[in-house]
Amino acid sequence: MKHALIFLVLLLLFILPVVVLVLVSLAPEWRFPDVWPENFSFRGLIYLARHQKQILSSLSSSLLFSLLTVLTTLIMCLFPAAVFARSRFSGKALLEGLLLTPALVPPMTFAMGLHFLFIKLSLADTLVGVVLILAMFSYPYMFRSLVAGFQAMGEGYGICAKNLGASTLSILLQVELPLLMPAVIAGGSVVFLVAFSEYFLVFLIGGGSVASFTGTLIPLLNSSNRSLAAILTLIFLFLPIVLFLIIDMTLVRVYRKKGMV
Amino acid sequence: MSWTSKHCLRLSPLMLPYLVLFCGGVFLTVCQSLGVLTPLPYEGGALDAYIKLMGDSAFFASFFFSLGVAAASAFFSVAVGTFLAYRVWQLPRQLATAALIYKIPLILPHISVAFVILVFWSSSGIVASMAHSLGLIQTLHQFPNVLYSGWGIGMVLAYTLKGIPFAMLLVMALLVRFDIRQIQTAAMLGASGLRIFFTIVLPRLAPAMHTGFIILFLYSFGAFDIPYILSESRPGMLSIHVYNLYFKHDLARRPEAMAILVIMFCFALVFIIVYSKIVNRLENGVRKL
Repeated sequence: MKHALIFLVLLLLFILPVVVLVLVSLAPEWRFPDVWPENFSFRGLIYLARHQKQILSSLSSSLLFSLLTVLTTLIMCLFPAAVFARSRFSGKALLEGLLLTPALVPPMTFAMGLHFLFIKLSLADTLVGVVLILAMFSYPYMFRSLVAGFQAMGEGYGICAKNLGASTLSILLQVELPLLMPAVIAGGSVVFLVAFSEYFLVFLIGGGSVASFTGTLIPLLNSSNRSLAAILTLIFLFLPIVLFLIIDMTLVRVYRKKGMV
Repeated sequence: MSWTSKHCLRLSPLMLPYLVLFCGGVFLTVCQSLGVLTPLPYEGGALDAYIKLMGDSAFFASFFFSLGVAAASAFFSVAVGTFLAYRVWQLPRQLATAALIYKIPLILPHISVAFVILVFWSSSGIVASMAHSLGLIQTLHQFPNVLYSGWGIGMVLAYTLKGIPFAMLLVMALLVRFDIRQIQTAAMLGASGLRIFFTIVLPRLAPAMHTGFIILFLYSFGAFDIPYILSESRPGMLSIHVYNLYFKHDLARRPEAMAILVIMFCFALVFIIVYSKIVNRLENGVRKL
């Protein structure tokens, strides 16, 4: 009985919004005071089909810069995370604290100053600029995850490979990176979500030139076309889930093939 | 071990972008707040923007409003999130899998969560319709003006909905390592459920709760996305104030916008340091972040 109550709370908080979004997307004329929509129509979906070109291109642009951000943060954090997990040096705790600040302070505070520099370097309004700013603000999640991953892995594998004559690069690519994959994916998922759902930084640095899914959604949220806004919101919810499932399943399959599970 | 050149080399992929982009970005913000390197040459004293802000009651109203919204949403997120995490942790295994639905708002972007709040709480929203069908209100106008009350309730609701799963996630990470025998012992010795929660479980969850509070508080304090959808005109959140100064006024007011950002940045740093110091003193050195 007490479990039923907690489940009811969870359903009300987290599932009800999704159900309502589905209803809104199928019932554009749902208005006060109806608790249940009077009639359903596919107007929202028809509108989606009619504007599919614009929506698909903004969606793929968002996917592209989010995945590039994940890759950039991985490149930025891989070696430093190994250093932080494996060695002691003076000022380590302070440095680690400093390195985590970009995720804590309001991103506006450095992004707006950087905007000036990016305009001078003609990085403003480019994909590279957007990826850099998103990576700068989201890398701490990747960093924390990788440090934990390196600590959990230990140094044994690397030392063993080195004894057998492997080069530093092949140790990293063939031994350590596969073992680190769970940490990479954990950190990468957060970085992906942060980048994929960010509106302001992409708008600021990308200007109008780098399309984003959030940028397509924003003008719809306060418009009368609530159905389309609800549909796009649902895409926002299901696309990452599908993506995570695919990654999860491929990983399991690869590990099984290699006999690592 | 001390610093070696190998360390420096291996840290460089992170240190270079950090110094150039993050520190450089903050440096440029500070410069522009002083009237240096602005798009238009600035004529006036270096501290003009700060002096103007200090005499601007709208800035202070906005500052304290942001503070209030951030504190309220972080508090509710952590309180509700911790409680829910504890109850979900107690669920039998099959049910616990189904409880993963709590991650839904983690995936939704902030602007979508704001949209959900809009759909539910606007004066013609779902909640109003429910109140009507329950006979609580007869017309639309009787429904309390939740979103535009001047108290930022809409933003607090949105940040809390987004923050609860985040707090739950952090707390769950500690709970999986929690020794259930401690609870069983306490129960055998006759402690009530409430007593167990407050004296045994809560102190052990405190580190995750503090981390969650710091992150959520600072995020809602300075973020732009949710206020952009749900903000009320006056007093607005600081981020909206900065946005308006940056994009909607002429370039002469650029230093003012940047000065607000510098103040926000310093406030965030001071908050992190002071908060961790206080908690450290209370708990003798448990790591927070």
